[in-house]
Amino acid sequence: MTDTIPVIRTEGLTKVFGKVRALDGLDLTVQPGEVHGFLGPNGAGKSTTIRVLLGLMKATSGRAELFGGDPWNDAPRLHRRLAYVAGDVALWPGLTGGQCLDVLGSTHGSVDEQRRADLVEQFQLDPTKQVRDYSKGNRQKVALIAALATDAELLVLDEPTSGLDPLMEQAFQQRIRNRREHGVTVLLSSHIMGEVEALADRVSIIRRGRTVTSGTLADLRRHTRTAVHAVTVAAPGALTDIKGLADFQLERLNELTDTRFTIDSDHLDAAIGRLHVAGIHTLTVTPPSLGALFLQSNGETLDPKESAGDGSLAEVVQ
Amino acid sequence: MSAGHSAADDRSRGLGTMLHIVARIQWRSAWIWALVLGASMAGTAASVASLYDTAAKIHTYAAAVTTGSALAAINGHVEGIDSLGGVIQDEFGFLIAVLMPLLAISLVARATRAEEETGRLELLLGGRIARHHPTVAALLVVTATIFATAVLFAVGLAVFGVPPTGAVLYALSLGALGFVFTGLAALFAQLTPHARGIYTWSLIILAGSFALRGIGDVTKTWVTWLSPLGWAEKAAPFGDQRWWALLIPLAAGLTLSIAAARLASRRDLGSALVRGGAGPDRATVRLRSPIGFAVWIHRPAILGWLAGGVMLAGLMGALSHQFLDAMAGNPAVAKAMGIGGGRPVDGLIAATQLYLAVIAAGYLIQGIGTLRTEESNGRLENRLSGTLSRRRWLAAHTVVLLGGLVTIVLGSSLVLGLATALSAGDTAEFGPTLTSGLAYLPAELVLGGIALTVYGMRPRLFAIAWASYAAMTFIAFLGSGLKFSQWVLDLSPTTHVGNPPMNAVDTAALVVMSAVTAVLGAVGFITFRRRGVPES
Repeated sequence: MTDTIPVIRTEGLTKVFGKVRALDGLDLTVQPGEVHGFLGPNGAGKSTTIRVLLGLMKATSGRAELFGGDPWNDAPRLHRRLAYVAGDVALWPGLTGGQCLDVLGSTHGSVDEQRRADLVEQFQLDPTKQVRDYSKGNRQKVALIAALATDAELLVLDEPTSGLDPLMEQAFQQRIRNRREHGVTVLLSSHIMGEVEALADRVSIIRRGRTVTSGTLADLRRHTRTAVHAVTVAAPGALTDIKGLADFQLERLNELTDTRFTIDSDHLDAAIGRLHVAGIHTLTVTPPSLGALFLQSNGETLDPKESAGDGSLAEVVQ
Repeated sequence: MSAGHSAADDRSRGLGTMLHIVARIQWRSAWIWALVLGASMAGTAASVASLYDTAAKIHTYAAAVTTGSALAAINGHVEGIDSLGGVIQDEFGFLIAVLMPLLAISLVARATRAEEETGRLELLLGGRIARHHPTVAALLVVTATIFATAVLFAVGLAVFGVPPTGAVLYALSLGALGFVFTGLAALFAQLTPHARGIYTWSLIILAGSFALRGIGDVTKTWVTWLSPLGWAEKAAPFGDQRWWALLIPLAAGLTLSIAAARLASRRDLGSALVRGGAGPDRATVRLRSPIGFAVWIHRPAILGWLAGGVMLAGLMGALSHQFLDAMAGNPAVAKAMGIGGGRPVDGLIAATQLYLAVIAAGYLIQGIGTLRTEESNGRLENRLSGTLSRRRWLAAHTVVLLGGLVTIVLGSSLVLGLATALSAGDTAEFGPTLTSGLAYLPAELVLGGIALTVYGMRPRLFAIAWASYAAMTFIAFLGSGLKFSQWVLDLSPTTHVGNPPMNAVDTAALVVMSAVTAVLGAVGFITFRRRGVPES
């Protein structure tokens, strides 16, 4: 079975620049056909990981595999199968956008001319304008169109939409879904939580050059807390007995009772049951957003008390 | 900002902030320029003072270079050449006439358009900096640098025995020359959208200034007065000492500066009067190939350096008749040019070929420097993320750079041969002119090899390549005239070529230099393959 070979696999990847450990044992696995969100704060090592995977930089230690091959020794052959959009889109100021598309396309190999034309229209790019006259967003469009127009099996996108407006962001998401339907694998490094939430099948969160957590969004959510806000007719009974419930607050509002708490997903059912018995007036259940996951896994809003015994993200972070 | 501040207060404060920023960014390159120029002047003064230590020797020199008018085309017509200062002015004339404007142009370009292009200026203008403040600040900082350089000149000259009044006037006349080009570059910074345009247009004006001064000095007419280089010369620091002649460059520089500041305050950020329109929406097949793309990248440099070489070759060739007359009339002329002995026309071609070699080597360093720019701007990453291997990418650029080198050398030599044949009526020199040009290729390639090695190993140390080039240029231009020790002369690869066609080519040396180049090139390729990209 060839499809069991991950498209991208790193194990214990480290990269040291002088005294700085940019990567410190990073593990990342991207399976064929998935859109993999790659998250981390600035300076966490996302771009360095990508450069090692592209064979632009040599890992200090650890393993990096691209399509099962060694990117450092075999870069040009492996690159035939991928297209890359760099974080800082750097193009040649003296070329027009259209010329840049073709030059970039020529380095990636096969370009679907029809799709190229469609993309130019969809992203509203004027290909006769010189790159030096483009805004940041337009330069980004050039790089994106060049990558999306190729027949690559893997798209490596390093914060590809930071300069796009919401309309273009929509177009981008639609195109990524379209490529995935065609079996294309995507490594999407991004800061835009909504984008990753909307697109990613699986997510890896890294911090200080290490993988903090990795899994499907559902997986990650299972290990995190859901916020519940309920207004009930009667006071709900013995909520604090439920395992995994925290941040409990109770307030009397005239005839009604206002209750807030957070709870891990496994015990949500029991908690809602008690609220139901008390007669629900209004109920808001907020699953953790990716943003909350991201902050949590970076240990920024995490209360040590809460994390005790939680056994998942928090422990990995510490 | 508190409410107590008046608008004028804010304005001067904004300019102060901007001055601080420009000075912070520029001080290092400014000091390097000032010190290198100051040291060159002091070094020239020291050598001249020790070589021409009697009135008789100075007189012989003066008689030699003033015989005929051909030399005046290059070094200018020096009034009061029969003095220590006059000899220095003549010896240093060509080099400083290039370096002083270049100091002004490069510092202004870096402080103005280059900042605007990268978007850093936008960040500042978001603060309380007015639109014209960056330009004014750049003008002030560069002018201060020029003044500091002039002070170093005056001190260096006076230390080695040049009378203080003449030294000060000479230093100020060169400073005023720099000031003209400061204003000019600042004006071009408003008109062209990119730093490269500032260089192109300013250097075209400089070339025009050379031509006008050359024509004026050779024909001894008022045409000299049309050239900024002529204004510096007409101050005659070691002759009549026309202090009022400084007013012309000062007025010109000031007018240009004011115009630049006015334009800066009126135009939109990022705009330019000269701007390209729409271009092709598709790339040609050639542009898509690695070689074709490398040609596109290096073409401006190839054409620019070729134009410089052809101009110099054409000028020297066209004046060869007058040179030969001068040399026939006074053997010391040839000695002054460092080409004593042999057939005069051979000596002339040999001297020109050495200058052309400096041009060709400069092209190579700049061309390889472009690769570093591609990398530091992040474009190399784009190129290498596809199917293009590093070796093929570097090989494509190397092939194109070599092709450009041969084009420049052959093109210039061809023009030199033709112009000499037309002017001196000596077609026998045509073949030797071409072969002597080609004989310099290994020496030029050693410089290219150094640049490639530095690029492969540590691109951030690319200044080493330029420093090697500066040393080579200094030795080639002044080495024989100032009688440097042999070991200093030997540091420059050009010394080992053998000075053809006047003397025989040193074939063994060419073989050694080719081998050195091959090793340096291999080291460059191997180290480039092994390092990370981008290496900042």
